[in-house]
Amino acid sequence: MRWADLFAMSLGNYGRARLRSVLTTAGVAIGTALVVLLIALATGAEDNVRRSVFSIGDLRLVTVQPFQPGANGLSAVPRTITDEVVAQLRRIGHVESVFRQFDAPLGTIVEGGDDATIRPQGIEPNAPVDRGDLLAGRHLALGDRAVAVVPGNIARLIAPSVASAIGRRVTMRIGGAVKLGSTRIGGSGTPRDYGITVIGVFDEQASGTSVRIPLDDALAAGADNRGLTPDTIKQSTGYSGIAIEADDSTNVADIVRGVQELGFSSFSLKQVIEQIDQGFGVFRGILAGIGGVALLVAAIGIANTMVMSVLERTREIGIMKAVGASPRDIRALFLAEAAYVGAFGGIVGVALGIAGGQVIERIIRNLNPRTNPGPIFVVGPDLILAAFALAVVVALVAGFLPARRAMRMSALSALRYE
Amino acid sequence: MGVPAVEMQGLERVYRSGRSTVAALAGVTMAVERGEFVAVMGPSGSGKSTLLNIIAGLERPSAGVLRVDGEDLAALDEAALARHRARRVGMVFQAFNLLPRYRVVENVALPLAFAGVEPAARHAKARALLERLGMAARAEHRTNELSGGELQRAAVARALVADPAILLADEPTGNLDSASGATLIGIFEELNAHGQTVLLVTHDAQIAAHAGRIVRMRDGRIAE
Ligand SMILES: Nc1ncnc2c1ncn2[C@@H]1O[C@H](COP(=O)(O)OP(=O)(O)O)[C@@H](O)[C@H]1O
Ligand SMILES: [Mg+2]
Repeated sequence: MRWADLFAMSLGNYGRARLRSVLTTAGVAIGTALVVLLIALATGAEDNVRRSVFSIGDLRLVTVQPFQPGANGLSAVPRTITDEVVAQLRRIGHVESVFRQFDAPLGTIVEGGDDATIRPQGIEPNAPVDRGDLLAGRHLALGDRAVAVVPGNIARLIAPSVASAIGRRVTMRIGGAVKLGSTRIGGSGTPRDYGITVIGVFDEQASGTSVRIPLDDALAAGADNRGLTPDTIKQSTGYSGIAIEADDSTNVADIVRGVQELGFSSFSLKQVIEQIDQGFGVFRGILAGIGGVALLVAAIGIANTMVMSVLERTREIGIMKAVGASPRDIRALFLAEAAYVGAFGGIVGVALGIAGGQVIERIIRNLNPRTNPGPIFVVGPDLILAAFALAVVVALVAGFLPARRAMRMSALSALRYE
Repeated sequence: MGVPAVEMQGLERVYRSGRSTVAALAGVTMAVERGEFVAVMGPSGSGKSTLLNIIAGLERPSAGVLRVDGEDLAALDEAALARHRARRVGMVFQAFNLLPRYRVVENVALPLAFAGVEPAARHAKARALLERLGMAARAEHRTNELSGGELQRAAVARALVADPAILLADEPTGNLDSASGATLIGIFEELNAHGQTVLLVTHDAQIAAHAGRIVRMRDGRIAE
């Protein structure tokens, strides 16, 4: 039998019991629409989260922390990042640059009053934290001493405007009591004052307390505070953290492995994203499973309809066999009919899913105009194709047993059937 | 004479239901030569339909040899048997067995559809046959708009559409009034006059009288 005849014939069969076909198809359409809608929702959510993670920072960055690997929260085992460690880190493959950081004890900018509590971060020029977020002035440069890049809120405490803070000489008091929010905490070590010049102001969105100062200034202040020398501080306390930049974000995993082999814990956005992807894979699977249950119910509907239609058409099957239909022809006829249910249901379902997503999205935005601007439902061509294919496959599977039953029917007993 | 249209040797068909067995055919040996018009007569239950169904490839014999147009049916698998039904034999039933959903011309062309012939060619062939059987005006009708005689003529056209080696008819006049029955048997005679081999089952002596040869059956055997 030719394919064209097969499909024409089974289309005729599909259209014969119209109400029943429509209802069965509707079942498939609803199941497919649910699958599309739920997966689109999961994809949209994942896209949103990924977008916001991307906006946080550079995917090429790996931060080395002064802990052993596997550190989480309370169980962190400290490890010292000495200059030898830094040298080893530099030798890891795909490492483009390494930036050391040393955090001096908490302090205040005296001119800013009580609220000007600061966390002095000693960093190297062009460190990833000190890039592209200036409101005024400049970033730290090579050879700078006794200068600081401060957040906008601190700048406004010491000067009428952000711009006029540039060039001001202020007193940075390291150690001593500070106020953090509404609580007052006693200082560590001996408080000491340092005169510094504000050279830049950064957007305080990143941090309202971090003050960026040259690495050597921070080391000196940390040493003073504890009555040591910078060299002994480097050996005993070590650096607070190391920022490593990979040559490419795809090599971040290699660097993370290298850092772990050296016995240090690390953090990278790239890995966060991979974890997010994994998590969303599970989320998407669960949602798809829910949609799949709807499709399963539809499949049972198809199987039921097909069984009825095989029974009703017993005599017809007998006649067809008697005049030359092969068992395969008969099976193909019923499978094609099931495929029509799947295909029509799939098309309608995909359309329904897309339209439903748009309607729901509009309703949500009307109810809450401040909803995240990214699309809530994301339907790509792969989802459309996959959902359609799924509907057809589910229908074929559901139609398989009834079709086989029709195929195996004896022609003679089918002819005698009334 | 060449290869007979149908050749049977010791053909048997045994039905088993529980402990009892019925031998519908208990060793039939006969041949239908090409161009013959043979009528099979015999009382009800004598195995006439079983014989025809086996020749048509609708069921398989329990024992014996059966060749149709020289081909041994025992060697055919289900798919080949389906081709045999589509192309080598044409069967006319007492109950017409047309598909009510399709037009007459589609019904007639159906065996060719299963044989893989494309629509234009098979419908042309079907129309030509309907015309020959005086049914041209009915070609586009649905079967529920036809009289019994017309239905059976359409069924004959369907049986002939693939130019079968033999036309099989199982009590084709059984559901017809006598006038329609006479018309139908006239058609069979006419077809046979043009060389069509016909094997007809009937219990009506008047119908059988039109055949060139009459074979009588009793209890699954040829009764001489
Ligand atoms: N499918 C079947 N199962 C059991 N017995 C059958 C079956 N078909 C036919 N028979 C029996 O075989 C015998 C011959 O039947 P059949 O060929 O129909 O006779 P006829 O056509 O001459 O009336 C009958 O006794 C009938 O009951
Ligand atoms: Mg009979």
